[in-house]
Amino acid sequence: MKITVCIGSSCHLKGSRSVVEQLQNLIASNGLKDQVELAGTFCMGKCQTGVNVTVDGAEYSVSPDTVDSFFRDQVLKPLGK
Amino acid sequence: MIRRNNLCVDVAWHSINHAGEQLCGDHVELVAEDENSTAVVLADGLGSGVKASILSTLTAKILSTMVANGMKPEDAVETIAATLPVCSVRGVAYSTFTVIRIVNNQRAEIIQYDNPRVIHVRDGVPQELPVTKARIAEKDIYFSDVILAENDVFIAMSDGVEHAGVGLTYNFGWCRDDITDFILPYVKAGYTAKGLSTVLVEECNSLYEGKPGDDATVCTVRIRQREPMNVIIGPPSDRNDCGKMLSLFFAKEGKRIVCGGSTSNMVAEYLKKPLHPVLDFPDPEIPPIAELEGVDLVTEGVITINRVLEYAKDYLDQNQKYAVWSVRDDGASRIARMLFEEATDINFFVGRAVNPAHQNPNLPIHFNIKMRLVDELATCLGKMGKHIKVSYF
Repeated sequence: MKITVCIGSSCHLKGSRSVVEQLQNLIASNGLKDQVELAGTFCMGKCQTGVNVTVDGAEYSVSPDTVDSFFRDQVLKPLGK
Repeated sequence: MIRRNNLCVDVAWHSINHAGEQLCGDHVELVAEDENSTAVVLADGLGSGVKASILSTLTAKILSTMVANGMKPEDAVETIAATLPVCSVRGVAYSTFTVIRIVNNQRAEIIQYDNPRVIHVRDGVPQELPVTKARIAEKDIYFSDVILAENDVFIAMSDGVEHAGVGLTYNFGWCRDDITDFILPYVKAGYTAKGLSTVLVEECNSLYEGKPGDDATVCTVRIRQREPMNVIIGPPSDRNDCGKMLSLFFAKEGKRIVCGGSTSNMVAEYLKKPLHPVLDFPDPEIPPIAELEGVDLVTEGVITINRVLEYAKDYLDQNQKYAVWSVRDDGASRIARMLFEEATDINFFVGRAVNPAHQNPNLPIHFNIKMRLVDELATCLGKMGKHIKVSYF
């Protein structure tokens, strides 16, 4: 599974750093480093809906406050955890 | 113009004021005669405060202008002697000075009157400058003429530097040999003119225990190889010009910096190489950099450039943020090091495309800001003595 977080100017201002750090911690604390790859990308061209995150190509809008539920629903569930 | 060699000059200075004074009685004036010739004058006016400041400013302005226009040094010095207003308290018109004139990036002409002698370091070894003495307008003036070599460093200073620590740290002040010993490791480490001037003056300030008994100024001239640098920021206003803009960017000599998300995507497409953002945040406020084969640095755009501009303004003023950008690994610090320290000639390739993603009124970034940032940054870099060329697409 590959999670890509937009780190362009606009998403950065909307908190992509916090999203990246929370995801890094969640991936580590759930012992998923072998199964989940976390990457960054510059502007996806959808700044209105930032912070933009894709999981294997599917697009989501995440904010620093919704990282937990996003991780539970879109990462842990599909992996059967 | 035919460039006879690939050398250029890096000139910078730093001052501290006599404790309690708002004006510095020392003045440094830099005049670029043409692309390869520069004259810099460090003048130290009698006393401190307003009077000293007026004397030294007049002296530095007159001397630098006359010398840069090829006037004989004797005539320039006589003009100074005849022009300076006479101090009503002391009955003398007085400003000491040091002139360093770089001719065609091949020779240095040095003219000294009563300032501490210029320190010349070549290949890490202090040199004795050959001097000839002449008596002009009742003053003993010392002339030197040196053929330049790469890595030559000339350090001129006002007597406030030598007087640092009198009666505090040292009984008789900071003597020239000690100053040379102090600065030598920094010269060998390849510090820039600004870096050398700043460390010397800061050391001075601490010898004065933060309360300088005199204005102290250091002006450094460093001879170095030219180092071209190219910065691309923003896609062109007409998408069809991408190829043209990028082929010009990649045709240039020197290192390459790519700023901006859409810009880096455009460059990656052109190079047909993958773009790998690095998910590290050495500075929490600055977006991460990315790796791209074929260019030296990829960063985000406006937020990063805004920070670089902040560093550039500080560099020209108090140079206090040096401690931050000289060591950190975020995009802004890396650009600052490459542009302020490494580069001598900088080409900006600025695209005027309006990023539709940034036209959200809730975001503090928009097109005009980007253009203004680049303009201001180019102006600051020009003041640092860099040769700047800006092309718009």
